[in-house]
Amino acid sequence: MVGPLEQAILALMIFVIMLGMGASLTPRDFMLALKRPYGLIIGVVSQYGFMPLIGFLLALLLPVSDPIKIGILIMSCMPGGTTSNIFTYFSKGNLALSVLMTVTSTVAGVVMIPIVLILYAGALDVDIPRENIIITLILLLVPVGIGMVLRKFNANIGAVIEFMGSMLGVFFIVFLVVSWIPRNFSFLLETNWATYVATIAIGAIGIAVGYLFAKVLKLHPRNARTVGLETGIQNGPLAIAIIAFTFSGAEQQAINAVPVLYSLFIVIIATLTTLYFRRANTAAEQKMPDGLL
Amino acid sequence: MSHSDRPWTAYYGPSMRSRIEAAQFRTIGDMVRAVSHLYSDKTAFTACLPNGINGSLTFKQVDEMSDGLAVYLREAVGLTQGDRVAIQMPNGLSFPVAAFAVLKAGCVIVNVNPLYTAEEMAHQFADSQPQALIVVDIFADKLTQALKGHQIPNIIVTQVAEFFPAIPRGIVRLVQKHWDRTLAPITLPHIRLPEAIEAGRQISQRKSITVEGYSSVLSPDDIACLQYTGGTTGVAKGAMLSHGNLMINMEQTMEMISDGVEKGREVALTALPMYHIFAFTVNLLGFYYLGARNVLIPNPRPLSNLKRAFENYPITWMSGVNTLFNGLSNETWFLDTPPKHLKFASAGGMALQSSVAECWKEVTGKPVLEGYGLTETSPVITFNPLGKTRPNSIGIPVPSTELSCLDQDGKEVPRGEAGELAARGPQIMKGYWNKPEETAKTMRGDWLLTGDIGVMDGDGYFSIVDRKKDMVLVSGFNVYPNEIEDCLARHPGILEAAVIGVPDGTSGEAVKAFVVLRDQTLTGADIRAFCKEHLAAYKVPKTVELRADLPKSNVGKILRKDLRAEETALRDAS
Repeated sequence: MVGPLEQAILALMIFVIMLGMGASLTPRDFMLALKRPYGLIIGVVSQYGFMPLIGFLLALLLPVSDPIKIGILIMSCMPGGTTSNIFTYFSKGNLALSVLMTVTSTVAGVVMIPIVLILYAGALDVDIPRENIIITLILLLVPVGIGMVLRKFNANIGAVIEFMGSMLGVFFIVFLVVSWIPRNFSFLLETNWATYVATIAIGAIGIAVGYLFAKVLKLHPRNARTVGLETGIQNGPLAIAIIAFTFSGAEQQAINAVPVLYSLFIVIIATLTTLYFRRANTAAEQKMPDGLL
Repeated sequence: MSHSDRPWTAYYGPSMRSRIEAAQFRTIGDMVRAVSHLYSDKTAFTACLPNGINGSLTFKQVDEMSDGLAVYLREAVGLTQGDRVAIQMPNGLSFPVAAFAVLKAGCVIVNVNPLYTAEEMAHQFADSQPQALIVVDIFADKLTQALKGHQIPNIIVTQVAEFFPAIPRGIVRLVQKHWDRTLAPITLPHIRLPEAIEAGRQISQRKSITVEGYSSVLSPDDIACLQYTGGTTGVAKGAMLSHGNLMINMEQTMEMISDGVEKGREVALTALPMYHIFAFTVNLLGFYYLGARNVLIPNPRPLSNLKRAFENYPITWMSGVNTLFNGLSNETWFLDTPPKHLKFASAGGMALQSSVAECWKEVTGKPVLEGYGLTETSPVITFNPLGKTRPNSIGIPVPSTELSCLDQDGKEVPRGEAGELAARGPQIMKGYWNKPEETAKTMRGDWLLTGDIGVMDGDGYFSIVDRKKDMVLVSGFNVYPNEIEDCLARHPGILEAAVIGVPDGTSGEAVKAFVVLRDQTLTGADIRAFCKEHLAAYKVPKTVELRADLPKSNVGKILRKDLRAEETALRDAS
């Protein structure tokens, strides 16, 4: 579905975007998120507590075929994806928290993914492709680190990279949607409504549940927005890799429908959520009088 | 004990001079030149935009650029000593270059508030008759209308990101043009600031003209600024501040903090606009004199715009108004990472609420020193001495300054009793531009009547208790009820109106209008919208109360004091 060249281009884009994201951060941001780890803990609970449960209920309640059920479960057990950081950035959320949540859930995934899958799918035995996990972490941490160093070295270089990264981020989001639809057009026509509902619901319910959970626990609105996006936005490519490692032939094809459709819809859902969060953020800003300020 | 005993001098710092009879430099240009030679390649100004994009100028660059522009103004534009030059721009690298150039050329700065409407600008231009205008492009849209009355023959245009490196500047331009859409084409004939500087440099080389020639004939008594202020009657008047006034007031203020700052090592944050006299004297002149790196914030609204500046620069010193300190103390990012290099902050422009000062101290661990002054006093009269700050006090008079509380007859009241504050010192203005009768109303010999009612305690610390004038102080800007009432009265649907100031959590005081309608369908929102068309935003009434009638005296004069009493009673009741 995605050729090696395309994959390389996507990886390069993510690298540049994350470089920009990194340039918006300082070590202090990470220190703060680590010093008060409630946000991080709430995020991980939300990621591996709520998401698999949501997936399980969707698989249970919706009239979908068995491969789709497996797909839904795998998808809902995935750690947070890199795109969650991009959307958090645009939502004016807590980017350092988002990055830490992605790292934590990805590393924890090595243990947590098999556990939750056994819990909800009984004997579903999947292989966790460690190299994909490592690649995800590298694609995330290396550019973020370089971005932070560049900003420290020269604030202007940092600001310019951040600007370029965010522009590329917008392009990336548009590109994902626009390039996805023609590539998978016939597939879209074949898919039944229940699969659509499931692949839309994983992300939408995930974001909503994560956000409300954080809200109930009285996290700062900025952190609550971050937890919401982080919970709902899963690592789609990792799901595809896991499916490729674990299944084969027609079954693999059928299961893959879930991460593929999910990846399309999550970009759209997250974009709408981001627009809403941005507005909420502006509305919550302190009103400053014109006068001396 | 009276003010003449100057009990406050006991609270001056150990190494402080208690008298400053003459400024170290004769003119501001002399100061700029001397300081620039001293700190040469150190960074003098860094303008920091909300996303962290920034540009810097060294002391040497500021000196050379302002030399170039000064020569341009004198030789190419043909200005002569004493000609007015209007400057209208937010904080940015162009501001110090433009201001220093005008002063070096022996001309007079007319600071124009960029928030002014075209009408207000037109009034100020008509009164001050500037021969040149240095304006930032994003505010140039109002120019055509503002110049309908008085034509300004020479217009120099600058940009927000002027003197930034090329790529960041290009990005800022792109965003302004296509995202913010704040750049309208300028139809008036003009020259760009960098071109004017370059032209000046070339003239200077070709004709071997030096800027020292312009300032050598200047005396400390020559006017440096016409700083506009509303005054009691609401008609904008230009306070004539001389080079001597400003230089000495800068030294007086710096003397008060001299024990807490190190020359050449401070990083100052300037979030207040330098077109306002407080930031002009304290931040622009004072920090330059100290050899500080001055981080300029073009637009501090919303306050998150300050986040990158606090993250990227080790701010040691900042000045602000109550509104700013209060706002920052309520920002999550500021509470999470308060500036760790900060030594102290200075407040002016409006009363510093003690709750805000306490909260600030709790958050940053460092005090806010409150000062007091007027446009007419260049502006600082009193300041809280470092380490001896008292809450709810404006502090003690700065060196060589006397402050006294007078009764209605102009006699000093006994200590501890309230009276109108009158100030005397080398920083008092020469008078109002072209308004001798207004000057006469404000000055009693050498003494300037402030219109504020104050009290001096036994140690010589002063506090403000009330204001004599009806003026409303909206986050540091004077709003005169007459002007707002005049505007309201022009609305055909309004029968009559009265305006007072009411306490306001964010701006200190807010404008409140009481309106009697002629057209009953009119709403408060309509009235505010109408005011917005004619008045700068800070003058627009924050609340409009519709009434059946207004309290009046037996001769029919609307009684603002009765409205104020009603408001106070309501507040007390709640």
